[in-house]
Amino acid sequence: MTTADITADGTGEITEVTEIFRRVLESPDLAPDADFFAAGGDSLLATRVLSAVARAYSVELTFDDFLLAPTPRALARLIAGGDR
Amino acid sequence: MPDEAPPATGPQRPLPEQFTAIARARPERTAIVHNGHEIGYGALADRVRRAARRLGPRPGRVPVDAVHDPETVVRLLGTWLAGGTYVPIDPAYPAERRAAMLAAVEPAVLRQAGEPAVLRQAGEPAIPRQGGALAYILFTSGSTGVPKPVLTSPAAIATTVGALRDLFGITPDDRVLQFASLNWDTCFEEILPALTAGAALVFDDDAYAGSFPKFVRMLERERITIADLPTAYWHELVNFLVEEDRRLPATLRTVIIGGEAARPARLADWSTLDTGRIRLVNTYGCTETTLITHAVDLCGPLATEAVDWSAATRVPIGRPLPHVVQRIDDETGELWIGGPAIADGYAAPDLAERFTRHDGQRFFRTGDRVRRRDDGVLVHEGRADDVLKIRGVRVDPGEVEAHLAAHPAVGAVAVAGLARGDHTILAAFVVPRRSARTETAAGTGTAAGTEAAAGTETLAADLVQYLKGRVPAHLVPSRISLVAELAYTPSGKVDRRRIKETLA
Repeated sequence: MTTADITADGTGEITEVTEIFRRVLESPDLAPDADFFAAGGDSLLATRVLSAVARAYSVELTFDDFLLAPTPRALARLIAGGDR
Repeated sequence: MPDEAPPATGPQRPLPEQFTAIARARPERTAIVHNGHEIGYGALADRVRRAARRLGPRPGRVPVDAVHDPETVVRLLGTWLAGGTYVPIDPAYPAERRAAMLAAVEPAVLRQAGEPAVLRQAGEPAIPRQGGALAYILFTSGSTGVPKPVLTSPAAIATTVGALRDLFGITPDDRVLQFASLNWDTCFEEILPALTAGAALVFDDDAYAGSFPKFVRMLERERITIADLPTAYWHELVNFLVEEDRRLPATLRTVIIGGEAARPARLADWSTLDTGRIRLVNTYGCTETTLITHAVDLCGPLATEAVDWSAATRVPIGRPLPHVVQRIDDETGELWIGGPAIADGYAAPDLAERFTRHDGQRFFRTGDRVRRRDDGVLVHEGRADDVLKIRGVRVDPGEVEAHLAAHPAVGAVAVAGLARGDHTILAAFVVPRRSARTETAAGTGTAAGTEAAAGTETLAADLVQYLKGRVPAHLVPSRISLVAELAYTPSGKVDRRRIKETLA
């Protein structure tokens, strides 16, 4: 990992990942437990989230990873556990 | 507007013949690369022959599970070599949808291509064809809620593939990315020009991972020279390149886009990056016209569009390819397409009205309105109907509405496309049936309190699950809004435009 601020349980990432979701979905009130796809996201918008995550944390996730962790909280946990 | 002169291109040899001739001439050359593993033309031709033998002569309509794997290509070519009709069906589709598709094409062979053909349907096929079997049957979105089977002849696909080899300028040294899903016809643009020109077709899991860093590294590692991308995906690729200040490998010489309108802003970005050197070809076509019918070079060495894209409002769709006959309706501006590559028609005769005759020629009415510039290049001006392009796939909102209207809790429904960033998402506006509304909301018609909100969320989620069990993912709206009422036109039809303006 080249970018710092990755905490063991993902709490540090939840705020930032929620912000990424909000920006991509143009939904300023989105909650950390909101499902990306239920909130209007699709596979193309998901690539924007994954690009933003790659930039912020130098963690390259795939669409399949994202399908298993489609909320900011779950994705933050995945990033924090990110040994990929 | 006068009709264009008829094309001068001659008839093409059948595609399976073209492939086997190339394989005989260059058996040692690489035909397919699959995650780094190479399959030579000779080995691929052997597998294709074995698949054809297992099917037996004239196997009829052969449904194939279309998955991202070279085996699907083996089954495609094997079906054709045996004289059968290829019917790709996505195994991820709901069982009900797959059953409807199979029923619509009445397969003669009920087993996979490449496996023993044990089950054959007795009697004649429902749609007998003069002069041999169809090449393939694909489905497009139809307003009745039932998928529309499009019937395409071997001559039509061979004509287009010949034109595309010319357009792309494919040589045996090319390495062509296989990106499109194998149950859409776009994949034929990648597979068939490559495998009839002696080029290599590259399957790579990193291409479909949804990660642009992986995608760009894959282009470099696999030395891809030609990539055919859905315009919506290309938009996101350009965003990634700009935001990350990344470059594309020097080996990539041609990028083909198509499926929906390209955004001038992304084109402005692309032409100012170092990607401006890459040949960027915008394309247009319909399933019914057999892949691409119009193309134009937007950037790169052959670009004829010397304009400042940051000031443009529309990106042109191009000139007709040599085999294409076009007609632009004087009154409506609708584009009609004729020539040897248009489909035989739909399997359901009541849908035939889009195929029509004019001056002794068959035409397909595309539903797209165009303007012809003085230099012959067409510019897309919109649709003559409400049909949408969602991530490059044609979606008739009426089809989604028909499925939603069948749900017991739905009183009325309208489906429309909403702009979200660079692309269009599918949105449904649903008026719940009165008895199905939550108790707190009933009577007043306004959503009052959190209980009502929870109720509406539950219904929206129920509707998503309901649709997922019936239709492919691209027909499931990304957003379902519960509303008190819809807007209607004076003639009593759902007014999608006004609904978008007032409810979205």
